[in-house]
Amino acid sequence: MITLAHVSKRYPGGYEALKDVSLDIANGEMVFVTGHSGAGKSTLIKLIAAIERPTGGTITVNRQAIGKLRRGAVPYLRRNIGLIFQDHKLLFDRNVIQNVLLPLHIAGFNRHDAAARARAALDKVGLLQREKAHPVTLSGGEQQRLCIARAIVSRPSLLLADEPTGNLDSEYASEIMVMFKAFNQAGTTVVISTHDHSAIAAGNTRIIRLDHGSLQT
Amino acid sequence: MKAWLTHHRQALISSFAQLLKTPFASLFTLLAIGVSLSLPAGLYLLLQNMTQIVGALPAQTEITVFMQNDAGAGDISAFKSRLAHIAGIRDSRFVSRNTALAALSLQMGIPDLASELPENPLPDAWVIVPSTAEPATLKQLAASLRTLPKVALVQSDEQWAQRLQALLALGRYMFTLLACILAVALISISGNTIRLQILTRFDEIEVSRLIGATSGYIRRPFLYFGALQGMLGGLVAWLAVTIATMQLEPYIHSLTQLYASPFRLRTLSIEEIMILLLGASAIGWVGAYLAVGRTLAQIEKSP
Repeated sequence: MITLAHVSKRYPGGYEALKDVSLDIANGEMVFVTGHSGAGKSTLIKLIAAIERPTGGTITVNRQAIGKLRRGAVPYLRRNIGLIFQDHKLLFDRNVIQNVLLPLHIAGFNRHDAAARARAALDKVGLLQREKAHPVTLSGGEQQRLCIARAIVSRPSLLLADEPTGNLDSEYASEIMVMFKAFNQAGTTVVISTHDHSAIAAGNTRIIRLDHGSLQT
Repeated sequence: MKAWLTHHRQALISSFAQLLKTPFASLFTLLAIGVSLSLPAGLYLLLQNMTQIVGALPAQTEITVFMQNDAGAGDISAFKSRLAHIAGIRDSRFVSRNTALAALSLQMGIPDLASELPENPLPDAWVIVPSTAEPATLKQLAASLRTLPKVALVQSDEQWAQRLQALLALGRYMFTLLACILAVALISISGNTIRLQILTRFDEIEVSRLIGATSGYIRRPFLYFGALQGMLGGLVAWLAVTIATMQLEPYIHSLTQLYASPFRLRTLSIEEIMILLLGASAIGWVGAYLAVGRTLAQIEKSP
């Protein structure tokens, strides 16, 4: 699913966020990326989603080389990736279901199918009763769940979550981790970056540790 | 295909919604666009009407040939037969010195003018109507008439026609110039309103980009908005020009009645209105395209 070979990312100004990182994430795997803040977790997520381009090495996602991707091809790559952000990036000028409908509108679903899918996604995150509510009226945990609903509504094969539980208390956080587990069991590849060790679900989940941009083994 | 249509429909609906969301700001923008557009549209209409007047002027293309005072009946008939061989003459009419004097006395209101004067001071004359009003041809014709025997003076309206044509050409050039300048101004008006809109919808653009929206998808509602705004501005311009001509109509009417002219003030035709509206929306579209392109490039640079 995702292959990194000697990937480095140097930002303009000289800051090196990732140094010679090589790793493989298999299809259907669930992976935690951990490390202190500034270790390069967010950069790794951004590189996989083609929000940033690597300055060295190659990244392959879904058999597509990110570094060589044409600008016009990026949107189609992203439609197969569900992105979950720490700051949710919800749109506050529309209600809950309209937020979830946005990816479907972009992908060109017809109104009827889109509404059915959006409700199914809201149901999965437990927000079906709030579909007409406005995001401002939701709690932090609910906003994060809404962000997750928007990420999974187009049934992507890859979920990328950047610090999804960063702003949540532990109860909400474990709720959300349970959700990710469920998506993974349904066959979705899940990559979660977090600096919160308590959020990492116990069990046999693989953990990738980053330290100052380098992979720790 | 269906998705594509849905996208376009959504973009159009969202453009209308955006316009209605800020009715006062929209109204002022539309007025600004409309007034700017009404200047070239009004000038165009003025030119069209002037051309119409020039076309209707009867005396415009006449050449008057005055014969020498000692020209007799033989010379007149000789002139007439020579005239038949000159090309480019539609009509010719002989005005004898006696006829001219009679007409003059009638015009001046002195019935016994002929008897008051020791002799008729007027020459015999030919009034020649050329088949074309083209200045170069007129000049040529006048020159060839001048070479005929017993001709004293050839007076043509060619200079008049030339001046009028030059004036109209200048007017048309000014129209083009004004239209170009205002097109640039309108592109920047449109670009600016679109830029403001982009700023207020920046989050939406950013999020859409992150969840797989193509540049086309992001650009589309703004392009529709620009085109729609331009077209509505064109509509305002059309209204302004129509109201202005309606205001002028009675004055023009009383003026033309004084001249017993059948001239009627012409308003914009359906084709011209279409061109105005389409041109205005094209200009709005271009302004929007430039603004969105710049903003998209900025978003790409700072993810």
